[in-house]
Amino acid sequence: MSRPRKRLVARLPREREARLSLRRIYLVPTRFGATLIVVALAVWIGALNYGVSLAYALAFWIVALMIVSVAFAYRQLAGLVIAPQAAEPAFAGDSVSFAVRLDIPGSANGRYELRLLGGEAESRSVSHDQQIPLSLPWPAPERGRLAMPPLEIASSAPFGLVRAFSRVRLASDALVYPRPCEDARDEVGAAGGGDTRVLRTGDEEFSHLEPYRRGDAVRRIAWRVSARRGALVAKRFGGGTLSGAWLIAWRDYPAGCDTETRLSRLAWRVLRAERLGQPWRLHLPDADIAARPRQLDEALAALACFGKRS
Amino acid sequence: MSGVVQPDVTRSAASAVLAAVAVAGAPLVFFLPGWVGALFVAMLVARGLTLSRGMGLPPRWLLALVVTVPVGLLWLSLNTLVGREGGVALFLLLLGFKALETHTLRDWQVLLALGFFLAATPLLFDQSPLAALWLMLTIASLTVAMAQLAGFSLHGGARAAGRAMALGLPLALLLFLLVPRLPGPLWNLPRSDNSATTGLAEEMAPGSIGRLIPNRAPAFTVVFDGRTPPPSARYWRVRVLDAFDGRAWRYADRVTTRESAVTGGEPLDYWLTATPDKGRLPALDWPIALPQGVRAAPGSLYQMAVPANEAVRIRGRSAGGRVLHEALSPAQRAFYLALPPGNPRTLAEARQSRAAAVSDSTWLKASLDRFRLQWFRYTLEPPPLAGDIVDGFLFETRAGFCEHYAGSLAFLARAAGIPSRVVVGYQGGEYNEVGRFWQVRSSDAHAWAELWLAEEGGWVRVDPTAAVSPERIEAGAAPTLPAARPSLPVVGAAAPDWLRGLEQRWMAARFGWEQWVVGFDAERQRALFAGLGLGQGVGVASVLRGLLAGGALALLPLLWWAWRRRSQAPPLVRAWRRLRHKLAVAGIRVQDSDGPLEMRSRAKSLPDDDFRRVEALLKAYVALRYRSRDADPAAERAWCRAVARLRLVKMRA
Repeated sequence: MSRPRKRLVARLPREREARLSLRRIYLVPTRFGATLIVVALAVWIGALNYGVSLAYALAFWIVALMIVSVAFAYRQLAGLVIAPQAAEPAFAGDSVSFAVRLDIPGSANGRYELRLLGGEAESRSVSHDQQIPLSLPWPAPERGRLAMPPLEIASSAPFGLVRAFSRVRLASDALVYPRPCEDARDEVGAAGGGDTRVLRTGDEEFSHLEPYRRGDAVRRIAWRVSARRGALVAKRFGGGTLSGAWLIAWRDYPAGCDTETRLSRLAWRVLRAERLGQPWRLHLPDADIAARPRQLDEALAALACFGKRS
Repeated sequence: MSGVVQPDVTRSAASAVLAAVAVAGAPLVFFLPGWVGALFVAMLVARGLTLSRGMGLPPRWLLALVVTVPVGLLWLSLNTLVGREGGVALFLLLLGFKALETHTLRDWQVLLALGFFLAATPLLFDQSPLAALWLMLTIASLTVAMAQLAGFSLHGGARAAGRAMALGLPLALLLFLLVPRLPGPLWNLPRSDNSATTGLAEEMAPGSIGRLIPNRAPAFTVVFDGRTPPPSARYWRVRVLDAFDGRAWRYADRVTTRESAVTGGEPLDYWLTATPDKGRLPALDWPIALPQGVRAAPGSLYQMAVPANEAVRIRGRSAGGRVLHEALSPAQRAFYLALPPGNPRTLAEARQSRAAAVSDSTWLKASLDRFRLQWFRYTLEPPPLAGDIVDGFLFETRAGFCEHYAGSLAFLARAAGIPSRVVVGYQGGEYNEVGRFWQVRSSDAHAWAELWLAEEGGWVRVDPTAAVSPERIEAGAAPTLPAARPSLPVVGAAAPDWLRGLEQRWMAARFGWEQWVVGFDAERQRALFAGLGLGQGVGVASVLRGLLAGGALALLPLLWWAWRRRSQAPPLVRAWRRLRHKLAVAGIRVQDSDGPLEMRSRAKSLPDDDFRRVEALLKAYVALRYRSRDADPAAERAWCRAVARLRLVKMRA
């Protein structure tokens, strides 16, 4: 993208929902359209030279088709509503999937091409009268909150002669978690290693219910609830008095340790504990995340946003 | 990430492009050497086969090598690669090879764009209504293929193309009428003059005009501005034949045009649409002004200044007078008196009768009386003549067609010492009531004589056929001669009236076509602009005025269609909004987010009757919208109508 255009796009307001109107729809002929205009010109010159009246009609028909295509392309976008959907989080170095929903008025058989500016083009066809969430991948090199890049929505249906496009900036962002980095200090086998401190502060206290995951101990299954719901549900324990929960803490690392490395290792450990079905608790200088609903998501979010202003 | 549509070309889209290009080039089969068309079709078919079999394409260098063979053949068979036939054939061949190397979407798009250019080439040869129909078909198939290339199915593409054509044709028509036409070509192109001409022969021998009479093909059309001359004055001169070799009259090209003037009669203005025959156009006796693009040929004839193979439309002006004043030099006089040896009886007879007559005009009158009184017959099937044909005709067979009479009168006049010549052209014509024009046909071909009379000081038209068969002049050849009557093919019976009516309608359609489509040129455009009141002449201001006025008309459907979608919510939703609006007008404050239940409770403040009606509507709405799984279109429509009919009493604030 050229610099002035970049500035123009950057100046767009961030919107919760963008409704495309005439003022923000741009229309340009495609290469194919330009080729056809050249052909129309050639036919016109031929008509003039040979005095062939019907060839004039053909040349003017091509011009009319271009004009009609402008209206067609405009109609593809006019009144379209684009709204962001919750973006799928990702780990740094992977790609985030931004999702948008297209709300197409009327019953036009639409064909749209959505592109995050600077990214790869993604083309999609959307059949009529539907609101289909579309996901657009975007590389996420570093952790934090990644704001959704400006989005270009374009259509050159139905003839590919004229391209209508509009650019919007949607108020949406995706969480990018730190890239997990292996750190085996919680190994049970290494319990004697000294660094791993397992909290044993009294009896286990019931915290909440969660869907059963492979690895949950049989005694943790809430049989009665499971029978009612028709699906296995496991009890989670924790709260203030964790017993057997791993403490995954910021201060596990020496003061000289780099923040990013620290966060990466913490993330790895959190994921591993979760995978093992091991109760855990994450302790950060600005947060303390004990067992609770959506504990993992919150912990990873806290790691992603650590030290960054939201 | 699933469902990403690759911008690739589907097989059906590619086949659609090939088919559309084939449709575009199909009419060329009639105008180009057969093998060119066959090769073109073969190349398209080959590409289609590689598509369906999923085979690879031949390497480009091989194609480039192979293409030289047919191009060389083309050079050998046409002797040219430019101009109409050569250029079109070359283009067709190259397009076929382009088809054999299309691979990417861009290639196919280029092929499609070239298909539009190809669609224009048959028009160089033929601009009949049939060609226009074919052009429409071509445009439609190319447009459908275009939509298919853009990713639509055949069905969706056809719908899009149909819509585009419905919305685009008014625009195209507007541009056709309003975009200024330039009067001439940008550069001169080589023209092939080998197009077949059907019309008057170069020379006039017995039978050369008679063979045209059964041919009812239209020759040209005329619209008179103001006065229509009587049939006896509608002589259209095309050729002047001034040299006789004992068998045929022909044009010797030895006359130098001099100042000539016509006396008597009133000027006649007319519009004539005709296809020039070797540049020659018919002119009403006697032309006094030259239309644009036409120059005068010796013998007061019209000749196109620039050769043209298509029908042209000219505005002619004639003096319906009796005498064409022209002085003859002694050399010219001798030329117009020259006779070949032979025909002794006619020579002797003419000299004798002239000596007996007081003046040239009395001799002429006596000679015409002779034709009238001596049992001459007017027939299309005269007995054959050989040897001294004038003697044979005048003294033995006494049966002939107009060329016999015109030729022998001119011969008699020369023998009597009166300069003379033969004129061939057309006489008469049939009025088309539907199109309000005169249709002149091949069967109206005619020949007459022109005599230079000293007492008149110029050429006088003398039609000996009128003396023998006056009804030929008044009513045309058809009633006079059985062979010239319109008849049904095969059966040979006379055509019924309804068929004649149909034929007239067809002629009228053709005439309109020639006038408004094929012959729509700079001149015609000026007339249209003046007629529409856009101003005199085609200029920036008048074109802009026309585009503003016509553009509004032509664009209206397009704009309506583009904006219409905003109100394209389902009918039930629209009716629901309408109900909400009605309540708001009645004074009930309704919010967008209100559902039927909220609305019912708000509507309680309405008068009792109104409330009950609104309540019933809301109940029905809930039933329609939420209770049943399947939509009930009839009930929905009924509900919408009920909402439309609802009238609420406006409450006081």
